Amino acid sequence: MEGRPVVLITGCSTGIGFETSLLLAREGYRVFATMRNLKKAAPLKDAAKGLPLEILPLDVDKPSSVKAGVAAILRKAGRIDVLVNNAGWGAFGAIEEFSDEEVRAQYETNFFGLLRVTRQVLPVMRAQKSGRIVHIGSLAGRMTFAGIGLYCSSKYAVEALTESLRLELRPFNIETAVIEPGTIRTPFKANRRKARIFHEGKSSYQKVLENILYFGNHPSPSAPGPWKVAAAVLKALRAKRMAIRYPVGRDAVWFPFFRWFMPDFLYDWVLKKRYEGFQRQGA
Amino acid sequence: MTSGSIALVTGANSGFGLACARALAIKGIRVYATYRNPRKAGQLWDLSRTLPVFPLLMDINRNPSVERGVRQLLKREGRIDILLNNAGFVMAGFWEDLSDEDIRDQFETNVFGLLRVTRAVLPSMRKQGSGKILNIGSVAAFAALPGLGPYSATKSAVNSITEALRMEARPWGVEVAEVNPGEIRTSVVQNTRMGEKVLSAKSPYTPFTRQFEKLTKGRFEKAAPVERLVKTVLNALGQTPMKRRYLVKPDDYAVYYLRWLLPDNVWEWGLGQMFPWSRWP
Repeated sequence: MEGRPVVLITGCSTGIGFETSLLLAREGYRVFATMRNLKKAAPLKDAAKGLPLEILPLDVDKPSSVKAGVAAILRKAGRIDVLVNNAGWGAFGAIEEFSDEEVRAQYETNFFGLLRVTRQVLPVMRAQKSGRIVHIGSLAGRMTFAGIGLYCSSKYAVEALTESLRLELRPFNIETAVIEPGTIRTPFKANRRKARIFHEGKSSYQKVLENILYFGNHPSPSAPGPWKVAAAVLKALRAKRMAIRYPVGRDAVWFPFFRWFMPDFLYDWVLKKRYEGFQRQGA
Repeated sequence: MTSGSIALVTGANSGFGLACARALAIKGIRVYATYRNPRKAGQLWDLSRTLPVFPLLMDINRNPSVERGVRQLLKREGRIDILLNNAGFVMAGFWEDLSDEDIRDQFETNVFGLLRVTRAVLPSMRKQGSGKILNIGSVAAFAALPGLGPYSATKSAVNSITEALRMEARPWGVEVAEVNPGEIRTSVVQNTRMGEKVLSAKSPYTPFTRQFEKLTKGRFEKAAPVERLVKTVLNALGQTPMKRRYLVKPDDYAVYYLRWLLPDNVWEWGLGQMFPWSRWP
């Protein structure tokens, strides 16, 4: 296993993290696949038989867990060449109706957690004078959709983090990029957490949110599987210099493109019409 | 925005918030102007002697304080027509130099605080079937800068929140929009916070931070006066319906349209030219 670049990936129990850790292990990386709950490790353990992949516990929400996880990898491998910040989940509800705790919980994982792991790994990479950090962002980091506004805002913050970090880390030969998956067939929807007030059916936005949720739960069957995101991560890691962003899936490419073509007032009108559509629809 | 309407302006004890409270009050609007630190609210109280400005103690970092403040206001006036989400500050420093608490503080005020006030005010606006919420963003929302990473991230988040809220609130007759000012000569510079580790001898970023300081120093003294921003805000609040976004000065338009037109790599190359440290080793 000597000579293989060492990778740390967060959130590997399912979906994008799961596929990415397997793909990188197959493609010559030494992978440390981490997850919050080791009880969910069995499927990955089975799939990774014979591959240079180790599973470690790491909860990005907990500073002590992040510290211990990174230390464990350094003990075993002595270096970290690649960090893939994947752990995240989506909050669903109206902006007005998220409680303070719900807002904080969303940011804790999607933003502060991602940052925590990054900051823990950065000194290691600076000492090595090399490293690549790949954030799994989202199409929602470039465009905002009603009903998932809070999630979008956390992903917008990740985009800004990536852009500013890139120019801060250049002198240390460390690169960062953000992968932007559109709709992907993952357990993302099952893991979604609804705002409590909506979950209890007491939201002032109940009907429109239910319509948006119904729409969101029935994505086109052509939506790519998580392997496609894994492939994009590999592409970024193999690039001579990483680009800022790698969109994955047709929607992630085309939506921003159409948005780019539209003047603000026109896009605003489109959003308004779309939202009115959601209001009318009978679920 | 008619005489006699009720406005709530957060972070109004200095700088832009204060200037805006004054301008709105001159138009005959009853302005509830929030401040957090009673010792720094002198100018606000002075203003309240001559104009319909009512200082309101509110710490937007604390939910109970926000709820209490808004409840007081509603008890006295029965309605809120305008919410100007202005409270915010700048945390300067490279990502790695700042502590977890520094970064959390930045989000606590600029994002979570804005959400708290909005959450407290919106139900009454929806009940009225009218209202305007104007968020003070920044050009950093679409042009993230090194050395100002956490600030850029919070303003990007606000950009997204405005967009979602705009869709969700519009059917209730409540309009949401955002102003994205660039450099403006206000107290935001004096109020800029730096992490403890920033500029310490141990940090590998210290030479870069010095370069960054040198680049930005003086820029704010030469920047446009706060009146420019006040004018934009008055213009925005006077419009029905409000546009999604209001920019302030020609250079802000330039940043916005360059960011729109240039491909990512070209944009980043240009930005890299501005910062002497950002070269590959």
